[in-house]
Amino acid sequence: MAGLKVRLRDETPQQKADQRLMARVAQGDQLAFSALYDRLSGPLYSLGCKMLDDAAEAEDALQEVCLQIWRRAATYDPKQSSVFSWAVLLARSRIIDRLRARGRRLRVITPTEAEQSPVETAEASTAESTAETIQRNEEAVRVRSVLGSLPAEQRQAIEMAFFSELTHREIAAQLEQPLGTVKAHIRRGLLRLRDELRKSYDR
Amino acid sequence: MIAEEQQDRAALYVLGSLDANEIAAFESAMRDDAELRALVRELRETASAIALGAQEYSVPAALKDRVLQEIAAESGADKQHSLGDRKVTPHPISWLPWAIAALFLVSLGALLYNNMQLRRQITEMRAADPLIRTSFVALAPAKGAPSDAKATVAWQPDKQSGVIRISGLPAAGRGKDYQLWAVDAERTDPINAGVVHVNPNGTAQVRFKPTDSAHNIKAFALSLEREGGVPKREGPILLIGNA
Repeated sequence: MAGLKVRLRDETPQQKADQRLMARVAQGDQLAFSALYDRLSGPLYSLGCKMLDDAAEAEDALQEVCLQIWRRAATYDPKQSSVFSWAVLLARSRIIDRLRARGRRLRVITPTEAEQSPVETAEASTAESTAETIQRNEEAVRVRSVLGSLPAEQRQAIEMAFFSELTHREIAAQLEQPLGTVKAHIRRGLLRLRDELRKSYDR
Repeated sequence: MIAEEQQDRAALYVLGSLDANEIAAFESAMRDDAELRALVRELRETASAIALGAQEYSVPAALKDRVLQEIAAESGADKQHSLGDRKVTPHPISWLPWAIAALFLVSLGALLYNNMQLRRQITEMRAADPLIRTSFVALAPAKGAPSDAKATVAWQPDKQSGVIRISGLPAAGRGKDYQLWAVDAERTDPINAGVVHVNPNGTAQVRFKPTDSAHNIKAFALSLEREGGVPKREGPILLIGNA
């Protein structure tokens, strides 16, 4: 049986800065929260739009998640995850609650033409003209590029697992594949994504 | 070394795809296995990066104000709770309108107090954090410029220097150079911020320092000039953005 050796990446300056902000948010610092909002709201809102397929509901979900971040900041543990990861997974969980509440099953996620095209960067007229935006755009391009390089079956399995509320059993049923195969696709896809992202950061 | 089956569970765990029994068993295994915990952390980071693969949408501008107002009101309400707990109420009918009025005034006071605190914190943060002292300006294509050209300037007024990142600009052409300008509200002419050489792939990242001090920058612009640059702008502006 193949094994795996884990090597954690060093925290980036951005991750450390986020942690400092989060520590201040935990103490009730509204200005720190405002800065954190600027860093996180874009990806969280886009995630909501993607998963809920409804801009108004994505806005409600983002508002709800932001308030949760404010209220639960003290429970954030930097040993468990980066602030970005904590916020994304928190948002995803709330969005899945919403999907389940409205009893709607998502369509099978397949990358659309628009999503495969380069990321639109902030226009001069928007207020989002910050270094975080540039960095995020670069990160988005990198993630899409790496996702695009994964074998199709792995990409499909991890996108379905991430962007929908389906369990792995439901994914297996929808893809008409054995459960073990779907699990393997998700695992291999995630590990490969991790390795490729790490390589691209090291370049 | 982590066995494949456990890797499967780790991947499904971070994606929230395990059922309650599987979660309990996996978390129990994690408690005694530092390497497994490290893998879970890595997979969490990887999984959350997938969110960036979604098409980007602009967040409605009004949402931030709503969220900030809500947390400010919550902070105010928390303070009111601790005060309100000590009150003794003789008769519910007689005090109700006054209580509503008082609550309104306390809320208003709390919001004003929070507002003042925020302003003070902004000042303190600007003094303490170099990132906050940095202004970011997005430059968009001017008329006639390539539509996919763009740039961002990160400007540090206290250091009187900055960095510009450019993409989507073709080579300047023979005998030409791109030149950056800082437009200062207190000066008649833009200040020369140096020549920028673009890589063959249309990108550039250059540190710059304007030739004169600029204390009230209102815009940055990139123009196409004679090779080596000019002391005063002559050529067409290709990219521009207001600070």
